[in-house]
Amino acid sequence: MIALSDYLIVSAILFSLSVAGIFINRKNLILLLMCIELMLLAVNINFVAFSYFLDDMAGQVFVFFILTVAAAEAAIGLAILVVLFRNRHTINVQDLDTLKG
Amino acid sequence: MSVEKFLFYVFAAMLIFASVMVITRRNPVHSVLFLVLAFFNAAALWMLAEAEFLAIALVLVYVGAVMVLFLFVVMMLDIDLSEMRAGFMKYLPLGIGISAVMVVELLMVVGPAYFGLDKYAAPAAKAADYSNTEALGTLLYTEYLYPFEIAAVILLVAIIAAISLTLRKRPETKYQDPSKQVTVKKEHRLRVIKMEAEE
Amino acid sequence: MAFDTTQLIPLLPEIILLVGVSLVLVIDLMVTDKERTWPFMLTLFTLLAAGCTTVMLADGTTQVVFDGTYIRDPMSDILKASLLFLAVPVFIYAREGLMKSGQWRGEFMTLTLFAILGMMVMISSNGFISLYLGLELLSLCLYALVAFNRDSSKSAEAAMKYFILGALASGLLLYGISMLYGATGKLDFPSIAQAVVGKESDIVLVFGLVFVVIGLAFKFGAVPFHMWVPDVYDGATTPVTLLVGSLPKIAALGLAMRILVDGLGELQESWQMMLIILALLSMALGNLVAIAQENIKRMLAYSTISHVGFIFLGILAGSDEGYRAAIFYVIAYAAMAAGAFGVLIALDRKGLEVDQLHQLKGLNEKHPWLAGTMLLLMFSMAGVPPTVGFFAKLFVLEAIVSVGLTWLALVAVFFSIIGAFYYIRVVKHVYFDKPTDDVEVEVGGAAQVMLAINGLAMLALGLFPAILMNLI
Repeated sequence: MIALSDYLIVSAILFSLSVAGIFINRKNLILLLMCIELMLLAVNINFVAFSYFLDDMAGQVFVFFILTVAAAEAAIGLAILVVLFRNRHTINVQDLDTLKG
Repeated sequence: MSVEKFLFYVFAAMLIFASVMVITRRNPVHSVLFLVLAFFNAAALWMLAEAEFLAIALVLVYVGAVMVLFLFVVMMLDIDLSEMRAGFMKYLPLGIGISAVMVVELLMVVGPAYFGLDKYAAPAAKAADYSNTEALGTLLYTEYLYPFEIAAVILLVAIIAAISLTLRKRPETKYQDPSKQVTVKKEHRLRVIKMEAEE
Repeated sequence: MAFDTTQLIPLLPEIILLVGVSLVLVIDLMVTDKERTWPFMLTLFTLLAAGCTTVMLADGTTQVVFDGTYIRDPMSDILKASLLFLAVPVFIYAREGLMKSGQWRGEFMTLTLFAILGMMVMISSNGFISLYLGLELLSLCLYALVAFNRDSSKSAEAAMKYFILGALASGLLLYGISMLYGATGKLDFPSIAQAVVGKESDIVLVFGLVFVVIGLAFKFGAVPFHMWVPDVYDGATTPVTLLVGSLPKIAALGLAMRILVDGLGELQESWQMMLIILALLSMALGNLVAIAQENIKRMLAYSTISHVGFIFLGILAGSDEGYRAAIFYVIAYAAMAAGAFGVLIALDRKGLEVDQLHQLKGLNEKHPWLAGTMLLLMFSMAGVPPTVGFFAKLFVLEAIVSVGLTWLALVAVFFSIIGAFYYIRVVKHVYFDKPTDDVEVEVGGAAQVMLAINGLAMLALGLFPAILMNLI
């Protein structure tokens, strides 16, 4: 039988990969957006697995809302990316140095 | 090993492979396509966890709409690949280090010690006429009506925000006006000028 | 089960706001007026109507409706009412600034109203689902607003940084929530509060809590998760900075109170330690780095970080007194921040933003009225008596001393004294330096009156702090 821990381990690896991706690809904005999608996927796997093993639908309802929000978030993120590209003609983070951070 | 467990390992391995490829490919188009693969495998895992509606929604809505939007933007923006490559090797050790530490820490918490089969037994299979979509839908439109309305507002905000950020009228762009085109008269295009004949 | 329409009564403020923003959205498409007077009036009317409804509904009781997804209690009443009434000056200042830079578009009104709706949803959430949706409604509007000046690459860059870090924070928060869900099997706060009794040392719970606190710290802008704050404050156009820097702090307090107190009150020992570290780091770094800033927007950003430290002090006291002090502090702070950015907007010229400290030199000679307002606001931020900022700090300090954290109170006082330096420096520029240019200050009548009210309110609430404290 598949155990709850199996799902959680897959999700934990995915979550760590997405964090690693954010560190490795800090130069490439579009990849940063994709890493965030991966992170949300890891969270969703957690919720689906808990929902199944706890036999509680609330977790699936939450996943439904996370998917909705993630779609809206992606739309706005890409819109900001387009605005940035129009202004700078680059999405390379290295060139983004107007603000010191 | 049961068939289900075998399938689980296949899909999980594919999912992790695809995710590694997403974060290491240098060409963003490849990354998006691997992300699509990751989503497909995640959907299969959800199917095994009896979340059928969400699995289908993930493929239809997420892969079908959001990932296509990503691909569209990646291709619309003319990205210089050689610049993207710079700095990758520099941050690679740091990235691997951080993720290794995170995996170890996470596994200590989510491993079989706390979430094994002895702690959480797999639930009994649902009856044949049980519909996951119906159960989810009933909850969404009754108990979670209020969050559902808020989600609708969020989608409206996404539309307004995306349009207000990217829609612009450029003064240099030439527009066609069909109503002017069809009402055009001969006099608008052709001018007959009377002039003296010249030798 | 039939739907009981009386359930809608506690939601009236949100409903009024949603109807109002939809009307603004449609009407704005039809106006040709450059000043957009009608949509603007409708916006103010909506805010006031929603605010008055909130006050009328406030009767000191707690109501939970919509199957436990929505809660109205005394805390939500005071936070929502202050949010809605403070939004009025925010809109008046922002309109002044955006008209000067020629960016007064209808989307500012709609997105800001939606953001306020998101904050109200957060404050009134009784479970993680509505809390998350409210938070995202607020965040999405703010990301878009930071990029509002589409022709400025600085704004777009700030928006992108804000977006990436905000989305990362949401991811961490969600991972934490999923762990809490796994450990308790519940997503609404009352059930979680019941489920965690007696499980104070459950490693899964504490693990989820760590992720949730990190997510919260990101959203508040507490050190070490503060990287976005100065960049967003500096990169966004000043009217948007005004919005980002004032109202969302009230909502963030609501968010923290719902999760940490309503949901995880039993784990207080665990989160108290984490908040102490965040508060200490925020007060130290915020105050020290602010001294080095020449850009006044960045200076105010670091000052925000230090004030967030103080707000955390109120929460971590873990007593009713502490929570009330935190609410008092956050409302006073939102009013001060709105006023301070309002003064900057008033000084803006057509097409040129004032953001350097030296541009404030000799303001008293040019415009004594604004100079006086700035004096009151800066004294209030520094915590000089008898302004409201002094009492806000005093209440928080009393609360943490009464739970035995005297050393923490002493450290807080020490950093506030360091912090007073850079606020007083602004006052010195305004009153004792010669002007470096002779540009006239042009400011509209409405903004000028509102600023004066804002400054005097800081003094009035300082003289009679009981007016506000008795409401909380």
